[in-house]
Amino acid sequence: MPIPSVHEKSVRLTIPPAGTASGRPIARRKGGLRRHPAWLPYALVSPLGVFVILLTLVPAAFTLGESFFRVDLFDPPIRFVAFGNFVDLFRSSAMRTSFANTAVYVLIGVTLSTVLGFIMAVTLQRRFVGRSLLIALMIIPWALPGVAEGIMWLGIWGSDTGLLNSALTSLHLIDHYQVWLGTNPLLTIFVIELVQVWEMTPLSALLILATLQNIPGEVYEAAAIDGASPLRTLRHITLPLALPGVTLAMVQALVGAINIFDEPYVLNGSASTGASAVMQTYFVSFQDLNFGEGYALSLMITVVTILASLVILRFIYRPVEY
Amino acid sequence: METRRSWARRAGVLFVLVWTIIPLYWAVNISLQTNVQGSAKPSNYLPPTPSLSNYIALLLGSGETAQAMRQGFVNSILECLCATLLTTVLATLAAYAFARMRFRGRTVLFYAVLATLALPAYTTLIPVYQLMSAVGLVNTYVGIILVYCSGFLPLATWILHNYMTALPISIEEACEADGATRMQVLWFVVLPLARPGIASTALITFLFGWGQFLFPLILSTDASTAPLTVVIAALQGRHSFPFTMMSAAGVVAVLLPALIALVANKYIVNGMLAGSVK
Repeated sequence: MPIPSVHEKSVRLTIPPAGTASGRPIARRKGGLRRHPAWLPYALVSPLGVFVILLTLVPAAFTLGESFFRVDLFDPPIRFVAFGNFVDLFRSSAMRTSFANTAVYVLIGVTLSTVLGFIMAVTLQRRFVGRSLLIALMIIPWALPGVAEGIMWLGIWGSDTGLLNSALTSLHLIDHYQVWLGTNPLLTIFVIELVQVWEMTPLSALLILATLQNIPGEVYEAAAIDGASPLRTLRHITLPLALPGVTLAMVQALVGAINIFDEPYVLNGSASTGASAVMQTYFVSFQDLNFGEGYALSLMITVVTILASLVILRFIYRPVEY
Repeated sequence: METRRSWARRAGVLFVLVWTIIPLYWAVNISLQTNVQGSAKPSNYLPPTPSLSNYIALLLGSGETAQAMRQGFVNSILECLCATLLTTVLATLAAYAFARMRFRGRTVLFYAVLATLALPAYTTLIPVYQLMSAVGLVNTYVGIILVYCSGFLPLATWILHNYMTALPISIEEACEADGATRMQVLWFVVLPLARPGIASTALITFLFGWGQFLFPLILSTDASTAPLTVVIAALQGRHSFPFTMMSAAGVVAVLLPALIALVANKYIVNGMLAGSVK
C-alpha cells in the first residue's frame, strides 16, 4: 500500500506500515522474481554498509571503549582508568547540574509537546475547509534549523527589546522589562525548552493525528447516541485510542530534549545556567580537550536515551484493536 | 453539542495559527526595522518604515560579515545538495536490495542499520572528529558531506525500504517474465513507482542537512566550509552586532526550509511519519 497523503480525498493520515524489523517476506515465490547474480545485492548494499560501519558503528565502539581511558590532550599519555572518567563526571558539580538541567528539559519538553500536539491533532481530526493548508503551516517549525529558531525566539525573550516584555508591559501585567534568560535556572530552562517545543510539536501532532484517523467513525456515532458529552468522548474514547500515537510522540520528544544543544547554545551561549548534558559534552571535549570524559558522557547520554525510550514504549504503549 | 464542538475547533485552529505564525512574524517584523525602531519600548508591532536595508547590508555588503554570510549560504546549499543526492541514491539501491532480494547477511546488516537509528548522533561526535582530523578531512566539503551521509543514510534506507516493500510485486514479476534484468526492473519499474517515497526521502534529508549545527561546528574550524547555521550562531556571540540584523540573518536561514515545508508539505508530512517509526 503506497503511503497515502493528507491531500487525498479520503484525507487519511497513516503511519506507513513499518514492515517487520527483518524486512517483509521478500516475495511470493509463486512465479516470483527470478534469481539475480549472487554479487548484485552486495554491490547494492555495500556503500551503505561502508558508511554505517566506518562512520557510525566503529566510532560508537570507540566511544564505548575509550570511555574507560584517560584521553586528555593536557594530561598524556592515553591510559586505562577503568571507571575513572565516570567517577570524575559524578564528582563534578557542573556535570551534576547539567544532568539535573537535562532532566528538567525532558520533563518540560515531553509534557508540553505532547499536550500541545494532542490539542493540535484533535483540532485537525475532522475535515474542514483549509485543513490541509493548516497542516502545511503547522509543520514549518519542524523544518527549520534549531539555531535559526533560537535566534528568532531571542526577539521574543529579549530583555530590553523582546516581544514578551513589550506585550506584558502594554497589558500592564509587569511594570518594567524583565530578564527571562540566564538569571533563574528553572525559568531559563523553561524559556529555552519552549523554543524546542515549538520545533518538536508538529511531529507530535502528526503522529497523534495519524492514530486518531484510524478510529472508526462508528465509535463516535455510538458515543453520540449514548449521549456522551464532547468532553467525555474526548476523555474516554479519543484519548485512550490515541495512546499509540501519544507514545511515539513522547519518545521523539524525549530523544529531542535529552539531546538539546542548538537552542541553549544560541540563547544562552556558554553560560552555565541551564547548560544541558550535550552542551557539557561539547565543553569538556572541545574546550577542555578532555576526550576521555567526553566519551564517558556521550556513552551515558546514549544509554539513558535508549533506556528512557524503552521505558515509555513498555509502560504507555498499548496496541489498539478495533 | 455540535456548536460547542465547532467552537472548540475554532479555538484549536486559532491556537495553531498563533503558535506557528507569531515567532515567524516577529523575526520578519524586527528584521525590517532600523536598530532605533527595533529598540522602541513598547516594540513596534508593525515596521514603521519597512526597509530591506538589514538584508542588503547582511548579504550584499563588502564587510567580513556579509562575506561570511554569502560563503555560508553557498556552503549550506552545496553541502546539503551533495549529501542529499548521495544519500538518496545509495539508500535507494540498498533499500531495493533489502526489499526484494535474498542474500546472506541480509538480516544482520539490516538490523545493524536499524540499530544505528537508536543511537543519538552525538554518540559518535568525538571519534568522528578524530577520524576526520586523522585523514585530513576537517575543514573540507568532503568531510562534512560524508558525515551528513552517514547520519542520514540509515533513516533514508528505512523509509525507502518500507515504501518499496509496500509496492505491488506483481508488476515487477511481469517485467521479469518478459525478460528484463533485475537492474532494468529497478530502473524502469520500481524507481518510477517509488518516486513519491524518493521525493519524501530527499526532501527530509535536505531539511536535516540544512539544520545541522554541532557536527559542522566542530568539523569546520574556519569560514571556508562553515554552513549558514554555524555562521549565524557565531554572529549571535558578538556583543556589538545589531539585533535587527541578527533577526534578518535568522530569516535568511529559515527562508528556504520554510518554503520547502509549505510547498512540498505532502511529501514532508509523509517523510516525517515514515521516518518516525523507528
